[in-house]
Amino acid sequence: MAKLDLSAITKSFGATRVLDQVSLSVPDREFVVVVGPSGCGKSTLLRIVAGLEAASAGEVLLDDRPVSQLSPGQRNVAMVFQNYALYPHLTVAANIGFGLRRARMRRAEKREAVARVARLLEIEPLLNRRPGALSGGQRQRVAMGRAIIRNPAVFLFDEPLSNLDARLRMQMRSEIRALHRAVPTTTLYVTHDQIEAMTMADRVVVMNGGRIEQIGTPTEVYSAPRTTFVAGFIGMPSINMIPARYRGDALELPSTTLPVPAAVKPRLAGHAGRDLLVGLRPEHLDIRPGGDGLVAEVDQIEPTGSETLVYLDHPAMRLSARTAPDTALSPGMQVGLRLLLERASFFDAETGLNLVPPPSNLTGELTA
Amino acid sequence: MVRSRAERLADLAVYAAMLLLAAAFLLPVLWLASLAVRTQAEVFLGAARFIPEAPTLDNFARVLRDGGFQTYIWNTIKLSSLGAAGAVALAAPAAYALSRMRFRGKGAVMLGILSVQMVSGLVVLIPLYRFMDRLGLLESHFGTTLLYIAAGIPVTVWLLKIAFDTVPQTLDDAAAIDGLSRFETFAMITLPLALPGLVSAFILNLILNWSQFLIPFIMLTADETWPISVAIFRFAGSTSAATTQLLAAACLLAILPALAIFIVLQRWILAALMAGAVKQ
Ligand SMILES: Nc1ncnc2c1ncn2[C@@H]1O[C@H](COP(=O)(O)OP(=O)(O)OP(=O)(O)O)[C@@H](O)[C@H]1O
Ligand SMILES: [Mg+2]
Repeated sequence: MAKLDLSAITKSFGATRVLDQVSLSVPDREFVVVVGPSGCGKSTLLRIVAGLEAASAGEVLLDDRPVSQLSPGQRNVAMVFQNYALYPHLTVAANIGFGLRRARMRRAEKREAVARVARLLEIEPLLNRRPGALSGGQRQRVAMGRAIIRNPAVFLFDEPLSNLDARLRMQMRSEIRALHRAVPTTTLYVTHDQIEAMTMADRVVVMNGGRIEQIGTPTEVYSAPRTTFVAGFIGMPSINMIPARYRGDALELPSTTLPVPAAVKPRLAGHAGRDLLVGLRPEHLDIRPGGDGLVAEVDQIEPTGSETLVYLDHPAMRLSARTAPDTALSPGMQVGLRLLLERASFFDAETGLNLVPPPSNLTGELTA
Repeated sequence: MVRSRAERLADLAVYAAMLLLAAAFLLPVLWLASLAVRTQAEVFLGAARFIPEAPTLDNFARVLRDGGFQTYIWNTIKLSSLGAAGAVALAAPAAYALSRMRFRGKGAVMLGILSVQMVSGLVVLIPLYRFMDRLGLLESHFGTTLLYIAAGIPVTVWLLKIAFDTVPQTLDDAAAIDGLSRFETFAMITLPLALPGLVSAFILNLILNWSQFLIPFIMLTADETWPISVAIFRFAGSTSAATTQLLAAACLLAILPALAIFIVLQRWILAALMAGAVKQ
């Protein structure tokens, strides 16, 4: 049980700044997912929390106590690595029990603890094997077992699922969540997979270039992205970004001008004449074979079964739309598009910031 | 796979070259074998008759029964294995530091260690002799072992660094989180996982030490302290053709242990070489 605070963590390797003033506050038992593109500093952040790397500036606090002076072993954190990092020369049981070496427990108690964890993770039959004789999913479980057994204050996961196939990844996603419900422990989970972030997180931290772009619930980062980066990174297919200018109660878009619904006007007030970007999710772009707004050409159609994704070409941009599976469209057709502007996010094209800042603040206190 | 004519020709050329090379190394050994199974009378025939008419194993029997030979072999075993063990033990910490720690000038240190290997023993022979003399270590197996160790350390550091490099760093991280100190990690994780590399470095040292000549030659003058290499050389210089067949037998017998070690333990060497190829 612990609360984890990061206070203005900065990290440089030589001249390159990898983390820049990262602040984050994770209340006890919360499951926070840090997501961002490759190289944005996620692993480095996790390693600093674990104590495997020292921050250049800033402080890590566990239950309000600074831990910079403590070794990884003294911090009582557990970490699951991307490549599992199991000890190849030890059995599964020894791997799981390894963290208990220091614990003041009798041998039988330790064996009982290992058995309990193995039961929880359903790997009892594997206890006498070595990691080399396990499948990827089984190794993953052993790695988690090794982390769980110590009852750590904080769980750290570094892309634990990226070496698994799609089906197993989905299964492990829900298993990790179930585990978190069974053993509620403060968790910092790093991934570059936005689907993992959306499906697993209590709160999502979106990082880019060593900075936090936004902290919020999955719904918040999806429907109220703070920046164009967050808007583009979260959601698949990517959000549509339509250049626009607000003038005289209307939005001037490439090749058309649309009236602005009354509900949207307050959001645009004060930004008349500026270059804007209208961020519109594929599900908020309606294809109307007659067409009353933009006109674009169907380029590609991807049926997924439950819905069909349509990719469209417009002289000024590429767009995507989500439609019902029984669409009668075919590549090459000219179609009209209707924009559900009420659902759009509006960004300043220059700064990339949402015109209406999302409710959650950057240091990450939950707004109840 | 269908192989083209050119490829097959290339293969032929490679095999021919290897045969030539093997012959260059094997002929002296065969000559030695030929001499070792001759009677004294046939020795005088020289190269005229390569395969003797009345081959005999008598020479081997006589050499093996000889007390001197046994002493020389024992001395060789002692010096070689102590030297190999010492080199591995002393190189391991250096190799670990080079493998795991970040510090300025690491590349230069690695190259420096390698360059020591490039200096011929002959170049340092005289200063080394005087140095050991001053220390009062001449004529002792202890001093000789120290020199064997010193001679083996550079290449051993490199071999062990490579062995430690194949043990993934994330295991160190995992061990740190499990509460192990740096030394515990070295002893409980890195060392056991690098064992094949350690063993092969030990064997390589053993084989190199077995054929070591220069160091014992300058260090040891008393007959009963000689390893087999020095003993054979001294006898070859002092004996007539009357004992050539015995000397040849002794030479062959001296090669055998090194060969046996290599054949029996080559699995370890292979395992160590493969460790880098199939990383866990
Ligand atoms: N020891 C190091 N020395 C120098 N640069 C480093 C070091 N470790 C990481 N970096 C750099 O820091 C940046 C962030 O690395 P980090 O591993 O934290 O990224 P990441 O977000 O985890 O990426 P990925 O999703 O690919 O794992 C990268 O540009 C990387 O090259
Ligand atoms: Mg990473």
